[in-house]
Amino acid sequence: MNDGSILALVAILPFLGALMPGLMIRAGRNACASFTAVPTILALLLLGTQVPAVMRGEVVSTTIEWLPQLGLSASFFLDGLGLLFAGMILGVGLLIILYARFYLSGDDPMGQFYTYLLLFQGAMLGIVLSDNILLLLIFWELTSLSSFLLIGYWKHLPEGRQGARMALTVTGAGGLAMIGGMLILGNIVGSYNLTDILAQGELIKASEWYMPALILILIGAFTKSAQFPFHFWLPHAMAAPTPVSAYLHSATMVKAGIFLMARMWPVLAGTEPWFYIVATTGLITMVLGAVIALFKDDLKALLAFSTVSHLGLLTMLLGFGTKAAVIAAMFHIINHLTFKAALFMTAGIVDHEAHTRDIKRLGGLAKLMPITAIIGVITALSMAGTIPLNGFISKEMMLEEAAHTVWYNNPWIVPVLATLGACFSVAYSFRFIFHVFGGPVRDDYPAKPHDPPFGLYAAPALLTVLVVLIGAMPFLAEPLVTAAANAVTGLDTHPHLKLWHGVTPALWMSVIAFAVGALLLMTQAKLNAGWLRMPRPEAKVIFDAIIERCVAFSKAFARSTHNGVMSRYLAFLVVTTIVVGVHAYFTGSIAAPTREILPVPPLVWVGWLSLVAATWLVVSQHRNRFRSLVFISIIGLMISGGFVYLSAPDLALTQISVETVTIMLLLLALYFLPKDTPAESSTGKRLRDAVIAIAGGGAVAALAMAFLTRDVDSISAYHLANSYKGGGGTNVVNVILVDFRGYDTYGEIIVLGIAGLTIFALMDALLRGPAAKRLRDRAFSPDRSRDRHPLMMVVATRAMLPIAVMVGIYIFLRGHNQPGGGFVAGLVISIALLMQYMASGFAWAQLRQRIEYHSMIGWGVIIAGLTGVGAWLAGKPFLTSAYGYLHFPPIEEFEWATAMAFDLGVFLAVLGAVMLMLYSLSRIARFAGETINVAPMDHDPSEVPEESATDQDQKEGQ
Amino acid sequence: MIQADLNIILPEILLAIYAMLALLAVVYTGKDKMAPMLTWLTAGVFAILAVWIGISGEGENIAFNGMFHDDAFSRFAKVAMLLAGAAVLVMGADYMQRRNMLRFEYPILVALAMVGMMTMVSAGDLMALYMGLELQSLSLYVVATLRRDGVKSTEAGMKYFLLGALSSGLLLYGSSLVYGFAGTTTFAGIVEAVGHGHAPLGLLFGLTFVISGLAFKVSAVPFHMWTPDVYEGAPTPITAFFATAPKLAAMGLFARVLFDAFGGVVGDWQQIIALLSVLSMFLGAVAAIGQTNIKRLMAYSSIAHMGYALMGLAAGTALGVEAMLVYMAIYVTMNVGTFAFILSMEKDGQPVTDIASLNMYSKQSSGRALALLFLMFSLAGVPPFLGFFGKLYVLRAAYEGGLAWLAIAGVVASVIGAFYYLRIVFYMYFGKEGDALDAPRSLVQQVLLMASAAIMLLGIVNFFGVDAAAQAAAAALMPH
Repeated sequence: MNDGSILALVAILPFLGALMPGLMIRAGRNACASFTAVPTILALLLLGTQVPAVMRGEVVSTTIEWLPQLGLSASFFLDGLGLLFAGMILGVGLLIILYARFYLSGDDPMGQFYTYLLLFQGAMLGIVLSDNILLLLIFWELTSLSSFLLIGYWKHLPEGRQGARMALTVTGAGGLAMIGGMLILGNIVGSYNLTDILAQGELIKASEWYMPALILILIGAFTKSAQFPFHFWLPHAMAAPTPVSAYLHSATMVKAGIFLMARMWPVLAGTEPWFYIVATTGLITMVLGAVIALFKDDLKALLAFSTVSHLGLLTMLLGFGTKAAVIAAMFHIINHLTFKAALFMTAGIVDHEAHTRDIKRLGGLAKLMPITAIIGVITALSMAGTIPLNGFISKEMMLEEAAHTVWYNNPWIVPVLATLGACFSVAYSFRFIFHVFGGPVRDDYPAKPHDPPFGLYAAPALLTVLVVLIGAMPFLAEPLVTAAANAVTGLDTHPHLKLWHGVTPALWMSVIAFAVGALLLMTQAKLNAGWLRMPRPEAKVIFDAIIERCVAFSKAFARSTHNGVMSRYLAFLVVTTIVVGVHAYFTGSIAAPTREILPVPPLVWVGWLSLVAATWLVVSQHRNRFRSLVFISIIGLMISGGFVYLSAPDLALTQISVETVTIMLLLLALYFLPKDTPAESSTGKRLRDAVIAIAGGGAVAALAMAFLTRDVDSISAYHLANSYKGGGGTNVVNVILVDFRGYDTYGEIIVLGIAGLTIFALMDALLRGPAAKRLRDRAFSPDRSRDRHPLMMVVATRAMLPIAVMVGIYIFLRGHNQPGGGFVAGLVISIALLMQYMASGFAWAQLRQRIEYHSMIGWGVIIAGLTGVGAWLAGKPFLTSAYGYLHFPPIEEFEWATAMAFDLGVFLAVLGAVMLMLYSLSRIARFAGETINVAPMDHDPSEVPEESATDQDQKEGQ
Repeated sequence: MIQADLNIILPEILLAIYAMLALLAVVYTGKDKMAPMLTWLTAGVFAILAVWIGISGEGENIAFNGMFHDDAFSRFAKVAMLLAGAAVLVMGADYMQRRNMLRFEYPILVALAMVGMMTMVSAGDLMALYMGLELQSLSLYVVATLRRDGVKSTEAGMKYFLLGALSSGLLLYGSSLVYGFAGTTTFAGIVEAVGHGHAPLGLLFGLTFVISGLAFKVSAVPFHMWTPDVYEGAPTPITAFFATAPKLAAMGLFARVLFDAFGGVVGDWQQIIALLSVLSMFLGAVAAIGQTNIKRLMAYSSIAHMGYALMGLAAGTALGVEAMLVYMAIYVTMNVGTFAFILSMEKDGQPVTDIASLNMYSKQSSGRALALLFLMFSLAGVPPFLGFFGKLYVLRAAYEGGLAWLAIAGVVASVIGAFYYLRIVFYMYFGKEGDALDAPRSLVQQVLLMASAAIMLLGIVNFFGVDAAAQAAAAALMPH
């Protein structure tokens, strides 16, 4: 195994180990804790083997190809910075495992806790060891996820839930933003490997995408590291168990943002935007966190804001962009880790023993729990920056850097604010010491406090030893700090860490801080009263309000666009289509018109105007069904006229017969519908719809005009040339229908037949349902005509029937060569029959009708199909037509064509389908109380008396 | 000649014959009593066809003079659709049966819709395109209103039908323009007529209307209006079906038209697709935030996801198509799992769709809550789950296709969109105490939920080879 692959093993160990606690929890809590510690210890040992190489300044790395097409590889590398963080994660992790063993009560599911903890540890290790930014992102989000599980571990605490929610929302959103930034970086450089990216600092800083990348990445880092204005989630996450707070919220996770800024330092830092964004944010966060911390009564909240403040300090140092600042930052990371983790654990012990973390209810604990008090006091002093502890050294280094930083031409702002932060830092540290451990022993603790068992204070005690050791002998930390700082800056630095720098401005700033800090603590009670009275923005309230606003906005948005109103949906659709069409028009190029516009004779004007008028009337009068039907028929008539004018008699014939049949059927159906439809839209809406409709119609008309005025290759020449030769007909339209596109027509008649049958079936189902009852109960208007089958009409239709049938047959026969054909013939005869039904009543006509419509449709389809199959017998494809000539002596020559048999099929299917529809309608009529007549007319002139008519009606109704 | 053609479309023919025979057989026997059996049988047929197509298909076969293409692209889409269809059928059977909704028409209509979808992704001609599309649409119109006694269901179905008919009309209008100017309906002929660089105006009009029509089918904004209503109104198993296979089919068809017929003029359609994409992503993300009905929420979620898939298409490159296919495969898997969960959401035997009913679900059933957490994170595109890789794929494709602004917009939209997925997780882990949901009854739903969640995590190892298949599929679509 080479050096590099050990790194992959280190990163993977905690994940494998995460299986352990679940398996071992049955063996007891001690066994569980021990086995949780094993992978951590192993990882720490493996990491240890790499220390010499890293200290020599080498970079250990390994690459395992994963998804190369995405640029993702499982690459890891270890340099000083990685080593510093990995050591912290594993070292503190080990202490936390020990501490949690004694901290968690018997009721808490310990196995689950350790599993989450190891998952988190693995994710953190992954972040600091990744050599691929995509891999880093994966681990980054994994920390969000596992921390979410850890924070929410105590599900019974409502504030815990709230905290977890906020933590995940803020860090999760930040993480997603960071993905964007990272992708930009990867695309600038052309590689997602961190080592490649780090080598391309100049390229990145010069890129026009530098600013977006910087901002997106910083959002990720700031949210994770709780920087202003995202700092608010951290204190709310404090409802988590204390081991979690100590591990996540002081030592590791919140430092991930700091790590990222340090990691990206060579490529992002050193520019003006970096300085102004990062340093300023850090400075604000540092001061703000320190100020708020002083006024928190909850021990953990105090420590949380103090953490926010220290993270701000680190951010500010990285923001300065100088080598010395980086060294100070690296050193302070170690120091903050030691004292803050210990302080959190101390707070946990106090909470555990005294059953409260409210500073107001504590005090005098020094006498009751001396060991805890020693640990707490020493580490808190370090936090305050007291000589000779480690916190002092790094704070001095920070103040030193701040002292000569010029912010926007102003040399005073940064030092003054940094000192202010330090003042408050001293104040809250002292408060932690004096208000918890100092003072007299009280007699109203919720539980009797005493020192905990060794297991619980072992971990913080060890950290306290480190605090003192590093303070006294800072050179111990020097190699690690050097390696980390060199890794961050990419330069060779040899810092000398020492306790005493002589009397420097920084020392004076420290002295001021202590003096003011002590003063602040003494007046804390008064200040606190003022603080509480002061109107201050409460982050949680603002956060909740923002979320609420967003939800409200979203709801309003969804309601206004998806309100279920069909006309609005259609409006969106049509407007978009028009816009898209206009877009196409302006982006495309079109040749000039090549055709002259024909002269328009007056008659055409009249036709056109009546067409427009009728269309307008249909729309404006559509609520009265009868009237709109009349106008629709005008439109149909005009279109038929148009076909005649444009020399398409066939189309005209078809159009006019279809028009007649449909209007007649619709008229019959109208009988069962309400006369008017209710108005559903306001004038404004109608106006809107009118505008949209006119725009849409205009666009289509313009498009049609554009095409009609240009020459287009069309397929009509082919049809004209081949109609007689191939199909044996001179009526091209008919030949197209029965020959060129015979297959289509065959499908068409089947569809028509199915439509007829479907209407029949639907009516059948309808009349068995509740609709039948409604029809039966239907009240007719009292002024119904009593003469529904008027004599004149009956006589006229009867006389017309044979003529109409004759015309139908004529049209059918001439169809192949002249305008006409089976389709039109079917319609013409349908009209003749329809009129019989209308004039003489349905039952009367029905009695005289011998062929069933269902079978008529069926025969039609079968005949047409057989014609097609006939072609197979002749060895040709389906529906190939053949024709020849017959000679009858009186008539000179008679053409026959297989197409005629096909046309017969069409004819029968059309007739059957139309009549079946009529039959369906009449069934409704009878349900609605329509009487049926057996006599041809209501008023038979041969019978005189008037009253008999009603009797007859009743009889017929039986 | 015809023998060879028929062999190529044999899977479609067999499925169509199966559907018709099943219809006849069931009408004359037990009718609705046979429905459960028929549902499983249909799912079985889907699965067998998927395996068959997946294993036996090879190379590029063109049938009926270019009307029908059987290539790596169509096979990829078909296998995914058939498997998704089978999964959705079996997971909804129990739900529908217990509510007396399982009509025998349901599996048959789904099978017919599947024939239509298979034709869509294989279409090499405007005719075949329209035939497949309408067969699918008409079946779906009916399926959407399967619960005829529900007001919401019928209203949603009616709207869907009307808008769908309008969009089909648009598509036909566009097709006829294309035919009129190209003089042919085959994609191979159109791509020649269109040429390279810029399409002539007539074809451009045709193209834009065809895109509008297709955008409706993938429910891209602003042609998405039907989606929330239909998702909410239709019975949940049907919503699940709508969210999976048809989306994939429509995307496949979209890709076919854009690349097979208009591959030479990427610049002419790129901006339109990009616009559809960005609108869909943002509307889906923003409008979902306020939703409390999980089905409606999933409707907006699907709109947003279609935006990301379109981003892949907008790239106009082979990588873009590959990204789109990978994205869709992941999307379909996530949706199968999520809907398997939604189907099992019941209180006192009644289905519930309010996300507030998930309050503290983790306490009640930690395993299922964790599975849903995986799915939600994956839907949100949070690493390390598979959904992130799908997003990464399309973002990369868009960036490399010269649409950096679109990629950035995609990231921003994903940040907004993450909110509502995470909210579901919050409800489950940190909600208020509320009435508990019933224990899940259906083993199938349970298995699919867990399998889908597991894929979200395990899939990141090597995508189960889906990326390689998608790459081959995308290559098949590119001009050779």
